[in-house]
Amino acid sequence: MRNLSSLKKEFLRKWIKGLRKYNSQKKNMNLLERKKAIKLSADLAMASTKDKTTLWRKALFANTSTKIDDEQDMSTTSSTPQKKVIRKNSTNSYPLRKRITGRRKILRRNHTKERVEASFIAMRLVKKRTRKLKSLLPGGKFMDDSCLVDETLDYIESLKAQVEVMRCLVTSSELFINQP
Amino acid sequence: MQPCSREMQSLNSLFNSSSSSEIPIPQLQNHSQIQINNNNDAFHNDDFLKQMLSNLPPSSPWTLDPNNPKPLWDPNSDENVTFPNYEEQHNNLSSKFRNHQITDKSAAALMLLMPTAADSGLLHMPADFDSSQNDVVNASSLLQAGDGSVQALFNGFSGSLHGVAANQTHHFQPPQGQSFGGGSVSATNQAPASGAPAQPRQKVRARRGQATDPHSIAERLRRERIAERMKALQELVPNANKTDKASMLDEIIDYVKFLQVQVKVLSMSRLGGAAAVAPLVADMSSEGVSDCVQTNGSGGVHPRNPKTASSSNESLTMTEHQVAKLMEEDMGSAMQYLQGKGLCLMPISLATAISTATCHTRNPLINAANNNVNNGNGNHVVASNGDGPSSPGMSVNSIVKDANSASKS
Repeated sequence: MRNLSSLKKEFLRKWIKGLRKYNSQKKNMNLLERKKAIKLSADLAMASTKDKTTLWRKALFANTSTKIDDEQDMSTTSSTPQKKVIRKNSTNSYPLRKRITGRRKILRRNHTKERVEASFIAMRLVKKRTRKLKSLLPGGKFMDDSCLVDETLDYIESLKAQVEVMRCLVTSSELFINQP
Repeated sequence: MQPCSREMQSLNSLFNSSSSSEIPIPQLQNHSQIQINNNNDAFHNDDFLKQMLSNLPPSSPWTLDPNNPKPLWDPNSDENVTFPNYEEQHNNLSSKFRNHQITDKSAAALMLLMPTAADSGLLHMPADFDSSQNDVVNASSLLQAGDGSVQALFNGFSGSLHGVAANQTHHFQPPQGQSFGGGSVSATNQAPASGAPAQPRQKVRARRGQATDPHSIAERLRRERIAERMKALQELVPNANKTDKASMLDEIIDYVKFLQVQVKVLSMSRLGGAAAVAPLVADMSSEGVSDCVQTNGSGGVHPRNPKTASSSNESLTMTEHQVAKLMEEDMGSAMQYLQGKGLCLMPISLATAISTATCHTRNPLINAANNNVNNGNGNHVVASNGDGPSSPGMSVNSIVKDANSASKS
C-alpha cells in the first residue's frame, strides 16, 4: 500500500484544525449541527491530503464548499483557498465529459444487433454496477471506466485511513473520559 | 486441399482457442474439402471468411447438384466426434441436404435445428468468450451472400456457436432460436449488393486476439488497463477472490458503502459523550448497507448470511430511520421507541462483554439497532465459542433481546 500512516497523520492534523475552527465559532451546537460540522471538516481534511489532483477530491471540495456557503458557518480564511482551487479546476471537468461521450459513440457502433446475447447481458450487469459505483463516489458521474477504477482505489485508501483515525480518536477519548 | 486444411485450422483456432471442446469440425472439414476445391488462393487467418464469401456468388460451390457423387454430410465418416446424440441430428441434416433444394424455409428450419443440437449439451465451451467471438457470430449473421442456402449454412453454423455461448447462461435458449430464425430470414431477404460492405466489417471481426482496427486496438488497451487496475483493487478490498467483473464490482460497491457508513457513524459517535450513546446510521438507504455492515462488521470472519439478512432488512431500515429521526429530536423518545420494540442501545464494550460471558444461541430474530451499533462502529465482536456458522452480531443481539425480556419480567 502507499504510505498509510503518513496519510493518517496528515488527515488528523487537518481535521483537528478544521474542528478547532468550528468550535471557535459556535459554542452550543445541537446533535445534528455537530455531526455536520465533524463530517464537513473530515471531508475537507480528507480531500486535501496527498496530491489534490484526483477527481473525487475536487468534487468533494466542490460539495463541501456549497455546504459551507449554505450554512455560512465558516467565514474563515481556510475556506477561501479551497474556493479558489475549485474555481480553477472547474473547467477541467468539461473536456473530460466530451471525451466520454465521444467514446460512447464508438462503442455503440460495434453493438448493433443481438440484444439477447449472454455477453450483452453480462455487460449490462457490469454497466449497472459501474453506474452504482459512480453514484457512490463523489464526482463519479464525470468519470470514464478506467478513471473510475483509479479513483475508487484512491478513495478506498483515504476512507480506510479516515476510518482508522476516527476510530483511534473515539477509543482514546473514551479512555480519557472514563479515567477520572 | 492444402488451403482448405489451413482454413480449417484457422477455423479451429477461431472457435477452440480457450477450450478443449469438440465441435464437429471434422464434418465441416469433409464438407468443405468437397466443396471448396477451386479456391487456390493462399488463405490467411483474417481473410478466411472473406475468401469463403467471395467464392460463393460466382461459382456457388454450395449448390447441390444431383451429379455430385459424395453427399455433403458424410454420416459414416471416421472422424465423427464421440457424441452419440449428434448422430441423429446429423442424419437429419444430411437428409435435408440431400434434398438438394434448400429453400429459405428449410434453411430456417435447419438453423433452428442447429441450436437445438447445440443445446443438447454436446458442445461445452467456456462461458467467458471474448467479445470478438460473438463478433464472428455477428459477422456471419450479417452475411449477404447471394445464395440463400449458403447463408443458411453459415447462419446455422454460427448459430450452433451462438447456442453454445448462450447455453452457459441457460437463459436464452428459446429466444435465441427465434432470434436466429428471424435473423436468417431477414438476411436472406436482403440484396446481395450489401455483401461488399459486410466484408471489411468481417475482416475486423474474424480475427481473435489480433486487432487490425485502431479503434479495437484502443479498446483492447483500455480493457487491459481496466483489468490491471481491478487486480490492484482486489488486494485492497476484502473478500475479493472473485474472478467475475460484476461480482468484483459488487464487492467494491459494498466495501465503499461500508466505509462511508463507518465514517458517518464514527463522526456521530464523537458527539454527546462517547460512553453514553452508541450512534445509529441516520440516512443511509437500502439493505445493501445493512447487509455489508453485518458481514463486514464481524471482521470478515464469517461468510455472508444473505437469507437471514434479507429477511430482516426491511425491518432493519425502517427501525433505523425511525430511531434516527427520534434521536434528532430527543434521546429519551428514541430510547422509548426502541424499548417498545424490545430493543435497546448499548455501547459496544458492554455488548462485547455480554457476548463473551454467556454462550449464544442461534436465534433468528435480530435486534436491529444493536446490530448496526455493533457492526457499524467496526469493532470486532469476537465470538468466544467456536460456533462457526452463526455470526457474532446475531448472537450478541439475541442475547441482548433475552436480557431485555429478562429485565422486564
